[in-house]
Amino acid sequence: MKAALGTFVAAGIAATAFAGGALAQDAYPERPIDMVITFGPGGGSDTMGRTAAHLAEKELGVAVPASNVSGASGNAGLTRVLTSPADGYTLGTLIALTVSSWAAGLGVGQPDQFDVVGVLQSSPSMLFVPKDSPHKSAEELLAFAKANPKALKVATSGFGTMDDVTLRYLTKQGDAMTNVPFAKPAERYASTVGAHTDAIYEEPGDVAQFVQSGDLVPVLVFADERHKDFPDVPASKELGLDISGLDNFRTIAVKKGTPPEIVERLHKVFADVTATQEWHDFCAKTYTCTENMSVEDANAMVETFYKKVKDLLAQPS
Amino acid sequence: MESFDLLLGGFAAALHPAVFLVLAFGLVTGTVAGALPGISFVNAMAMALPFTYLMQPTAAMAFLGGIYVGGVFGGSISSILINIPGTPASLPACWDGHPMTRAGKPQMALRIALTSSATGGLASALLLTFAAPPFARFALTFDQPEFFAATVLGLVSVIAIAKEQPILSLLSMFLGMLIGTVGVDPLYGMPRFGFGQPMLQSGVNWIVVMIGLFAVAEVIDLICEERELRPKAAGGGSISFRGLWGLKNSILRGTGLGCMIGMIPGAGATVGAVIAYGVEKQASGKGARFGTGVPEGLAAPEAAKNATTGAAMIPLLTLGIPGSAATAIMLGAMILHGINPGPLLFTSDVSTVYTIFAAMILANLLMIVAALAVAKGFSTLMRVPPAVLGAFIIVLSVVGAYGVRNNIFDVYVCLFFGLVGWGMKRTGFPTAPLVLGVILGPLAERYFLTSLVNYDNDYAIFFTRPISGTILGLAVLFGLWSLWPAIQDLRHRRAGRTTPLDHTGRVPEDG
Repeated sequence: MKAALGTFVAAGIAATAFAGGALAQDAYPERPIDMVITFGPGGGSDTMGRTAAHLAEKELGVAVPASNVSGASGNAGLTRVLTSPADGYTLGTLIALTVSSWAAGLGVGQPDQFDVVGVLQSSPSMLFVPKDSPHKSAEELLAFAKANPKALKVATSGFGTMDDVTLRYLTKQGDAMTNVPFAKPAERYASTVGAHTDAIYEEPGDVAQFVQSGDLVPVLVFADERHKDFPDVPASKELGLDISGLDNFRTIAVKKGTPPEIVERLHKVFADVTATQEWHDFCAKTYTCTENMSVEDANAMVETFYKKVKDLLAQPS
Repeated sequence: MESFDLLLGGFAAALHPAVFLVLAFGLVTGTVAGALPGISFVNAMAMALPFTYLMQPTAAMAFLGGIYVGGVFGGSISSILINIPGTPASLPACWDGHPMTRAGKPQMALRIALTSSATGGLASALLLTFAAPPFARFALTFDQPEFFAATVLGLVSVIAIAKEQPILSLLSMFLGMLIGTVGVDPLYGMPRFGFGQPMLQSGVNWIVVMIGLFAVAEVIDLICEERELRPKAAGGGSISFRGLWGLKNSILRGTGLGCMIGMIPGAGATVGAVIAYGVEKQASGKGARFGTGVPEGLAAPEAAKNATTGAAMIPLLTLGIPGSAATAIMLGAMILHGINPGPLLFTSDVSTVYTIFAAMILANLLMIVAALAVAKGFSTLMRVPPAVLGAFIIVLSVVGAYGVRNNIFDVYVCLFFGLVGWGMKRTGFPTAPLVLGVILGPLAERYFLTSLVNYDNDYAIFFTRPISGTILGLAVLFGLWSLWPAIQDLRHRRAGRTTPLDHTGRVPEDG
C-alpha cells in the first residue's frame, strides 16, 4: 500500500517535470498518457474510459493510467484537461450530459475547446415503462398524457439535460409529462422498476438487465429510425414527433491546439480499439456500438448537439 | 436445499488457491488502508481496480470484497488507538473505544470491536446468501419519501449522541448541513455559495471535511498540547469470552440495524453506525455513561457498520443498484469482467453469485486473523514520537483528500477544516454532528425535493405513506426519548427546585 502510494506520488512528480519540457513530437508517445475520467468510478463513463485505456495501451505501447476526476457534471475533469498542456498526454472523457450542461449555462466548456479523437459509444434514448404499467405502448402513453397533462411522472437525470429538453418538446406537442429528476442513476432505475414513477427516459444499455428480465418495457425510441435491437419499438418520427439528434454519446477528447499529427494518431488508435473483438463484445452488450467517425465529423456532432440543446432550452417549458 | 449445494460449490471455488490468496491479500490491504487516517478503503478499491483486469472474474470480486470487508473494519483500529477515525464509519468507535485505550485497555477495545464487526459482517453475509432476492423486492417498495424519512432518523440520532449539549450539537449539525448546500443543487442545477469559484460548484466533499476535522485537527492539537498519542501498555485490558457474551444484545441490535440500513442506497456504513450508537445509548440503559468507555457503546456501532457490507451487496447483486461508493466500484468491476448484476444474474450466472457469497462469508471469518495482525503492527507504529507520527498523518491526509476526486482544491478544503476542527475542539464545540450534517444534509435535500416533484408537491406524502410515516414517527419518538433528560431538567428548573446535577448534567434518578 505504502509502496503503491510512493509510486503514485513519484509518477505525479515525474509527469509534472516532463510536462514543462519541450517534447519531440515524432517520438509520440514516449511516456504514459493520462486518461481523465470525468465521472466517478463504476459508472458508464468510467467503464468506457477504463476499457478504452486498457485496449489503447496495446496500440500505443505506453501505459494509459485512468484517474477519476468527478464533479459538476463532468466539468471538473474537463477543467483538468483544459489546464494541462495540449501535447496529447492528457485525454478526457467527454459525454453528451456534459455538453448539455454547457448549453444550460453550467461549467466553463464550449465545443470548440476540444478535438474529439474518438466517438466510442452512442445510443439513442428511449422511454421505458414498468412491467405492470397500464400503458403498454407509446400511443397509449401519449394519449394518456394528452388527456391528463403532467399526470405521468418520468424519471430523468435532471433539469437542463437532454432528458429535460425531450420532455419540454413533448409538452409543446401537447403530451405534457412531469420531469422527476434523480441525481443518482441507480435511484432512477429503482424508482421505475419499483413503479414509483410511470416511465423512465434512458438509453437501453444502462437498463439492459431490466429490459432482458422484463421489469422494464421499451415503448418509444427517440430517433428517426427504429433501433435495430428493438425492431418492435416505434421511432418517435413515426408518431410525428420530430425529436432526434439527442443521442447519448461518450467520446474521448483532447484539448484544442494539440498538434494535428498527434490528434490523427490518437484518432487511429481509438478507431483500432473500437475494431477489436473485445470492444465489440463490450459495446454490443450495452447497445452502444458506433461507426468510425472522422475528427471533423465528431467535432461537428458535438457542436450540433450543443446548439440543439441550447435552442430547445431557450424555448419556454 | 438447493442453495446449500450451490453454496458448497461457491466455497470450493472461493477456496481455490488463486481466489483465496487474493481474498486474503485484499483483506490485509483493506484493513491497512482503512486503519491509515486519511486513506479510505474506497481509495484503495479504486486503486486496486486496474489490477483486477488480470484476474478471473471471481478472483476480482473476491479481491474487492476482501478490501471492502477489511476496510470497513480497519478504520476502527485508528479510532480506538489514536482517536482518529480511519474511515467515516468508524467515527462512533472513537467515542467509547478511545476512552478504553486512555484507560489502558486498548486490547479489550480492539477485541470487542473485532468480535462485534465479525459477527455483524457474518450475519449480513448469511442474509445476503439466503434471503437476497426477497429482500431486494422488499427494498424496491421503498421510494424517495422512505429514503427521506430514514435520513431524518439519521439526523435525529445526532441529538441522541450529543453528550451534554444538545443545543450546541444541533447548531453544529445545521452548520454542517449549510456546508453541504455549497455547490450546484442536485435538482435544478443552480450554483449556490459558489463565489465564482469553479471548484466550489462541485461542492464540498464530506470525506474531505471528515479528514480535516478529525485527522488534521487531531494532529494540530497533538503538537500544540505536546501530549502523547501512544497508547499506554498496548497489551493491557483483555476481555474474556464471558465478557463478550455479555454484549450479545448490543451486538444483536447493532447487527439488525446495520442489515436494514445497509440496504438503503446512499446511507451505508456511516449512517448505520451512528444510528446504532444513538439507539444503543437509549436501549442499553447505560446511556449516562456513554462516551467514557462503555463496552456496549463500542459493540453496537461496530456490529452495525460491518452488517451494512453484506446488506449493501443485496441491491447491488439482485438489482444492479449500488448504494455506496464502494459498491459502485464493485459494479464497475463486474461490468468490466462481463458480469451483469441485476435480476438475471441469479439465473444466468448462478455459480459466480454463490462464489461471491462464499467469498463474503470467508472474508468475515478471515478478517479476525488479518485485523489482529494489522492492529499489532499498528500499535508498534504508535511508538514513534508524536511529531513524526503527526507528520506522517498529515501527509496521508493530504494524499487522501487529493485522492477523493484527484483534485488539489480538496486538499485546501481539508487543511481549512483541520484549523476549524482544532478551533472547535478548543472551544468545546462538538465536531461529529457537523460531519453528519455534511453527509446527511444533501441526501435529505435531494430525497425531499424529488419526493415533492414525484408526488405533486404534496407535503403530507411523508406521513401518509405507511413505511415513511412509521420511520418519521420513530424519529420523533427517538428525538423525544433522547431529549427527555434535558426536558426533565428544564421542568425541574421551572419549578424553581435547586436539584443538584451530577457530572453528566442529568438529574440523579432519585432527584
